[in-house]
Amino acid sequence: MVPCIQARDISLTFKPKNRDSVTALKELTLDVAKGEFVSLVGPSGCGKSTFLNVLLGLLKPDGGEIRLNGKQITGPGQERAMVFQEFGLLPWRTVLANVELGLELKGVQASVRRERAMELIKMAGLAGFASHYPHELSGGMKQRVGLARALVTDPEVLLMDEPFAALDAQTRDLMQLELLQIWDRTKKTVVFVTHSIEEAAYLSDRVIVISARPGRTKDVMKIALPRPRDYEMRLSAEFNDIKARIWASLKEELVLIKAGDGA
Amino acid sequence: MGLKEKYHVYQRPILGMASVIGLILIWELTLTYLIPVDPFFFTKPTLIATAFREQLFGERLWRDLAISSRAFIWGFSLSVIAGIPLGTVMGWRRRVEYTLDPFLTALYASPLVALAPLLIIFFGVGLLGKAVLVFLLAVFPFIFNTSAGVKSADPLLINVVRCFGGKERDLYLKVILPSTLPYIVAGARLAIGRGLVGIIVGEFYAASEGIGFAIQNYGDTYRLPDMFVGIIVLSAIAVALTELLRKAELMVAPWRAGEEIR
Repeated sequence: MVPCIQARDISLTFKPKNRDSVTALKELTLDVAKGEFVSLVGPSGCGKSTFLNVLLGLLKPDGGEIRLNGKQITGPGQERAMVFQEFGLLPWRTVLANVELGLELKGVQASVRRERAMELIKMAGLAGFASHYPHELSGGMKQRVGLARALVTDPEVLLMDEPFAALDAQTRDLMQLELLQIWDRTKKTVVFVTHSIEEAAYLSDRVIVISARPGRTKDVMKIALPRPRDYEMRLSAEFNDIKARIWASLKEELVLIKAGDGA
Repeated sequence: MGLKEKYHVYQRPILGMASVIGLILIWELTLTYLIPVDPFFFTKPTLIATAFREQLFGERLWRDLAISSRAFIWGFSLSVIAGIPLGTVMGWRRRVEYTLDPFLTALYASPLVALAPLLIIFFGVGLLGKAVLVFLLAVFPFIFNTSAGVKSADPLLINVVRCFGGKERDLYLKVILPSTLPYIVAGARLAIGRGLVGIIVGEFYAASEGIGFAIQNYGDTYRLPDMFVGIIVLSAIAVALTELLRKAELMVAPWRAGEEIR
């Protein structure tokens, strides 16, 4: 396997003023291969999103090393792009201008970025909505914009922080399928954070179970389902077995959290 | 469409106009038939209308307006130039806010027109004194609203721009400025009202020309219809400016249409 992301013993403690410090990550180790689709599942507050922010370069770990293609990550970079749970679209920009953002920040010429953005808008199924504002779109369409915006700079790695959590169930199913198609076409490396075992199992090559806080890698499960995957696959006995395995691992962590709460 | 449906569509302008016309009629009729007050002490719409027509074709009204506008525009422009940057820094840097807040809050809350005599001593009765008074009154809504706007900038959006490679400058230009703009326009609406008070009070105190002086002067000489013309012109200008800014609010923030920003 060609490693794209290598995280070694990542530790991170938040030390807010006047409050107790919180250890979010402790010696988290994780490798992601080039072109691989990896999901992180874990109990709430286990540091999954914190880890994404470390990957993104917005947070610096206190300990450990994180490398992208062998190079230390020191800050945000054009080879990584993020899709946010709450979309994070700029409300004063049209769909087109939102998608152009990454290219604009890179200093790409206006006509070039327009052309490139229109391509992505079409690919995301938003043709005809380029001049709409975010408040005129449904949740699913907003996240299509989020996805197009992330892909516009042609990053190597796509980081997705519970991207479909704010969508209704049917939109979610549809978006998962489309994400798989886009991934298949673009061959991106994807790190996908989710609360849903089903979503993780359906989309991923590997599912990483993160322990209760402080987060570390608890289990790594290879999902041997053939590709391309379709919705019907989710009804098979094999799929249910996978889900049961992930659940068994995750359940122990949830029990831990409950005990820790003093409940 | 029947008459009833038509009425429903235009209910707002119809009722609004009816109340204005009604008030004018009641005023006129009361003073003509019920309580015939000496026109020396009070006046009525027909007399004001006559005075209005005369002033519109005269020279003095226009000259006064030009004089007052100049002082207003100077003071108002200065308050924009000073208030927006100061508000931006206050909203972004907490320490600056904590340091300046006591002074600004005290100045904003107190009736600054009380400073008018002092300002006249410092800056004279001409353009400068009035412009400074307008500035002092109008600058605070710009400072406070800009600061509130900057603070309202969504941290998620700041993160978004940062993670797509945005530098500090991009955060200001692509997130903070656009989310602050509607607040600034709303602040401008307040500032116009306060600035107009500034110009009038300044001219009441010490001036020999300007719309405020005209109102004062007509009052002193018991030319009540002429005085009312000044007041009506003034409120017409205030209403026009305020409505203009309401439109501007919709333009700079179409996604907030329907939300009341203050």
